[in-house]
Amino acid sequence: MHLRPFTPFALAACFLLLTGCSPNEPSSPPKTAGRPVLVIGLIPEQNIFKQLERYEPLARYVAGKTGTKIELKLLPRYGNIIDNFQSSGLDGAFFGSFTYSLAHAKLGVEVLARPMSLDNTSTYHGLIFVRKDSGIRNARGMKGKRFAFVDKATTAGYLLPLGYFHDNGIPDYKTYLKETYFAGTHEDVVYDVLNRKADVGAAKNTVYQRLAKADPRIPGELVVLTRSPDVPENGLAFRKDIDPSLRSRVRDALLSMDRDPDGKKVLEQFGAKRFIETTNADYAVVLKYVEDLHLNLANYDYKND
Amino acid sequence: MKRKIILGLALYSVVFTLAGFYVIHTIRTATADLDRLITLHQVEILREHYLLQIKKVQSDLTLMETPHSREFDTVVKNVMNMGRIIDTCFDCHHTPRGMERLNNLKAQTGRYQDALSRVLTIRANARRFAAEEDAAFRTGEELITQVRDMIAITTSRLGESTQKAMDEIERTKYILFGLVMLGPLVSAALGLLFITGLTRPLKVLLESTRKLKNGDLDHRVPELRDEFGEVGASFNEMSISLKEQMRKMHRAEQMAVVGQLAAGLAHEVKNPMAGIKVAVSVLAGEEYIAAEDKGVLQKVIGEVTRLEGLMKDFLNFARPQKSRFEPVNLNHVLNTTLTFYLKAHSIGGKNETTRIERDFQEIPQIMADTSQLQQVFLNLFLNAVEAMPQGGTLAVHTRLEEGSDRVRIEVSDTGKGIREGLLGKVFEPFFTTKAKGTGLGLAISRQLIEQHGGTIGVESRAGEGTRFTIRLPVTGKEEAPA
Repeated sequence: MHLRPFTPFALAACFLLLTGCSPNEPSSPPKTAGRPVLVIGLIPEQNIFKQLERYEPLARYVAGKTGTKIELKLLPRYGNIIDNFQSSGLDGAFFGSFTYSLAHAKLGVEVLARPMSLDNTSTYHGLIFVRKDSGIRNARGMKGKRFAFVDKATTAGYLLPLGYFHDNGIPDYKTYLKETYFAGTHEDVVYDVLNRKADVGAAKNTVYQRLAKADPRIPGELVVLTRSPDVPENGLAFRKDIDPSLRSRVRDALLSMDRDPDGKKVLEQFGAKRFIETTNADYAVVLKYVEDLHLNLANYDYKND
Repeated sequence: MKRKIILGLALYSVVFTLAGFYVIHTIRTATADLDRLITLHQVEILREHYLLQIKKVQSDLTLMETPHSREFDTVVKNVMNMGRIIDTCFDCHHTPRGMERLNNLKAQTGRYQDALSRVLTIRANARRFAAEEDAAFRTGEELITQVRDMIAITTSRLGESTQKAMDEIERTKYILFGLVMLGPLVSAALGLLFITGLTRPLKVLLESTRKLKNGDLDHRVPELRDEFGEVGASFNEMSISLKEQMRKMHRAEQMAVVGQLAAGLAHEVKNPMAGIKVAVSVLAGEEYIAAEDKGVLQKVIGEVTRLEGLMKDFLNFARPQKSRFEPVNLNHVLNTTLTFYLKAHSIGGKNETTRIERDFQEIPQIMADTSQLQQVFLNLFLNAVEAMPQGGTLAVHTRLEEGSDRVRIEVSDTGKGIREGLLGKVFEPFFTTKAKGTGLGLAISRQLIEQHGGTIGVESRAGEGTRFTIRLPVTGKEEAPA
């Protein structure tokens, strides 16, 4: 391109504008001198990047209400949250029901609140599903097939199939099945079965139903074989030695969100109606499930093979 | 001129306002072009940045499960940044086709993120993991190809747009330079035009004033435009009036001299003359004086009488009597005077070579001094008859001038006429072509006519005759006599 005399000025202006005030450049977070920082872990319930995007508005809202700065730390696996809670300096995390039971047993974390979904439920259950055209209708049909779990630290994605095999007299699923693997997220399990990457899958009903609403192939091509008991939805738990006043502020902020117009908008984005108070008693059903499976939380190996 | 100045200023304002608006418009256009260019380059850089970010994520993916693999948080940050960059593309306005491409790009980015999420979270056997890793990598490569294609398209368009915008800016620059250079020139030319338009007539007027000051009363201001034309006309009227006033002053001075002379003559000559006349008359009555001597004495008495008449004329001219105005039938006065004159000089009867022509049209009565008018008419008749020693036609015409309130009296003869060079002097005192004339008849006549607010003029051709024209106001004296 032939540059005219005016060009250097134009390019300089472009350079100045681009380097000086580009609105499109991702900006660094604002300084938060003097504000306490809370590091909150997130388990990979769904596509981890979408998971992060989903929780960011909630974190900003709570941070604004409590005068803190909240850093979200995404974890690639459910079990990592147990491993990394202390090493990563986590102050709290949104735990799945089984993960919380493990973390409570191993780390002593205390739950304080969990979301209630738009259909007024605050629980979920696990599903085992196959493709309709797979011919699999029971445990017998699964022999020699590929099974997609979510993670060893999930109720829906691991405890349910474990109990299912146990109930159907299959002592070692590893030898009964041709292949097993941990897809990492409930979403991936659903799509793996749908896309024939796996023959059988286990995931939580909330994710399954959300995906089914967006993708008609899921209700059309998949069939659910069994479900688990209802367990509490993923809740926020803090380490036991967290500042009680900070814990209290976060709890209050979450529980009053539905009464605040800004909070309502955030809840709407998050996909929940409100946050409800949660205690250890809510997890009794999980502990019962674990007990029925003869698992010992204290020495449970949550690491995926 | 005032109108022209206002028009000029208005034109000046309009021209400069329009030029101002044009400059503002061109600057705004150029700024808009620059803004567009900047935006285009921002988009270009954003896309390059996006491509780099994808490559960075691809690198993270390739290094995964190797000793050089990056921390999970770093990988997540890179992937999130990649997603944010593509989201910022939607902040700008795009054509439907561009939006479609962007949507495709975002969808592909979403698929890439899904694949990456899967690789980052899955725990399976090596074959399945490798397959997922490979799928993610291929998705990333497809995304890179898609972005490169888009960059290639937009780079080509950006080049065209840049060239077009630069051409436009260049054109704008030349126009602005032209305006900057031409503006002062046009301004100066217009200013010069206005200044010249104002100063040229002023110079002419100034030059005329100088000539007038140096005594050139015949100088006239040439024709000028607008208000200057009116000033020039007034100046010319002033010159004419000044010349007239000078003439009157000159004549007044002459009158003063004649008056003094007449008074002297009256005092020094008239009384001795009267004594001489009486003495000669007595002497002529003596019986012992022979008859032939008595004839001589009678001639002496006649000459003395003529000298007395001359003295009277002097006194009349130098000290004119005040006019006594009264309603006068001018035709009647003329007719009576002419009849009296003809009888007194035995014209028309014995001297059949002189023909009298009367043409008295119906005219209104005028305010005048009858005796003074008779004196004027007698003088004109006398001159006419004397100009026709071999006979001719003495014509007297009266009529009312159309469109005015003046009556016109013409007394003409078919005599020898007056030479052209002498025509302008006939009304001057003491100018005469007659051997025994005093040169006061016509001067007194004009004096009397002017006392009546009228004018008297003469036209003549040598050998063809002379015509005197008197114009008198119907309502009486219009202006004071000099």
